[in-house]
Amino acid sequence: MNLHAFLKALEATPLAAAVRGATPGWDWLFPIVETVHVIALALVFSSIVMLDLRLVGIASRESGVSRLSRELLPVTWTAFVVAAISGTILFISKATGYYADIRFKMKFVLMFLAGVNMLVFHKGIFQRVADWDISIPPPATARFAGAASLLLWTGIVFLGRYIGFYA
Amino acid sequence: MELFRHFAEWIGSTALNEWLGENAWIIPISQSIHIVCLAVVFGSATVISLQLLGIGRAGRSTSQTANTLVPWMYRALFLLLVTGTLQTIAEPVRQLVTPEFIWKLVLIIGVLAMTIIFSRSVRRSPAAWDSPATRPGAAKSFAVISLLMWTTIVVLGRLIGYTWAFYA
Repeated sequence: MNLHAFLKALEATPLAAAVRGATPGWDWLFPIVETVHVIALALVFSSIVMLDLRLVGIASRESGVSRLSRELLPVTWTAFVVAAISGTILFISKATGYYADIRFKMKFVLMFLAGVNMLVFHKGIFQRVADWDISIPPPATARFAGAASLLLWTGIVFLGRYIGFYA
Repeated sequence: MELFRHFAEWIGSTALNEWLGENAWIIPISQSIHIVCLAVVFGSATVISLQLLGIGRAGRSTSQTANTLVPWMYRALFLLLVTGTLQTIAEPVRQLVTPEFIWKLVLIIGVLAMTIIFSRSVRRSPAAWDSPATRPGAAKSFAVISLLMWTTIVVLGRLIGYTWAFYA
C-alpha cells in the first residue's frame, strides 16, 4: 500500500467521515476537535514561550532555569499530547488534502527543527545547568536555543492558522 | 439583533472593509497574530490560577508571578483588540450577527475587570497575597472562575467561525 492509498484509507474511516461533516448529525464534531486543538496549542505555545524568554534572559529572571523547566514541561508535554491527538483527528478527515498542502509540510519541518533544537539543548548546555541556573545573562548557547525555539514555534502557530485558511 | 445586522451592513459598505477585501493577505496574518496573543493570555491566566490553587510556584511568590504575567496579558489583549477589530471590519456579518460574539465580548469585559481588580490588589498588598493564610478568601474562586471564563471565551471565539452561517 503506497502513501496515497494509505491516506485515502484514513479518509474512508467512519471517524474521518464524521469529523469531515459527511455524517448527518455529526457536523459539530470538527469545530469541537478544533477548539480542543486551539486550547492545547495555546498551552503548548505559552509554556514554551515562558521557558524561552527565561533562556533568552528577558523574563522570569528570579526563577532558576531548572526549576522553571521542571514545572513548565509537564504542562507542555500534556498539552502537546492533546494537541497531537486532536491534530491527528483533524488530519485524517482530509488526509490527502492536508498532505498536499505546502503549509502543512512546512509546519512539520518547523516542528522537526524545534525538536532537534530542544534535543541539542537538553543533551548540551542543559546538562551543566547547575553552573548557570540563575546566571543573567544565560550562556550564549542557551540564549540561542531560546530564541530559535521562540521563532520556530511562532512559525508553527502561523502555519497552522494558514492551513485552516486554505486547506 | 436587527440593530447589529444594520451596523454590520454599514461596516460592510465602508472603504476600510473594501480595502481589507482587496488585500486578502492581511486577515490571515491578523488571525495568526490573534491566536499567538490568545495563547499568551490563556497561558498566563492558567499559570496565575494554578499558583493561586497551590499548583506550581517556580520559586516565585504570587505577587512576583502576577506582576510579571499580568502586564504581558494586557499587551497581548491590546493586540487581540486591534486584530479582532480588523477581522470584524473585514467580515462584519460573520462576527456581529452571532450571539457567540456578543457573549464573548461580555465575558472578556467581565474577566478583564476581575483581572484588573486582582492585579491592583496584589500591587497594593503583595505580602497579604503571597501567604495562603492571609490571601483574600475570594482568591481560589477568582482562580477557578477566571480560568473557566477564559476557556469559554476561546471556545466561543472558535465557534463564531462556524455558527455565523446559521444566523446570517
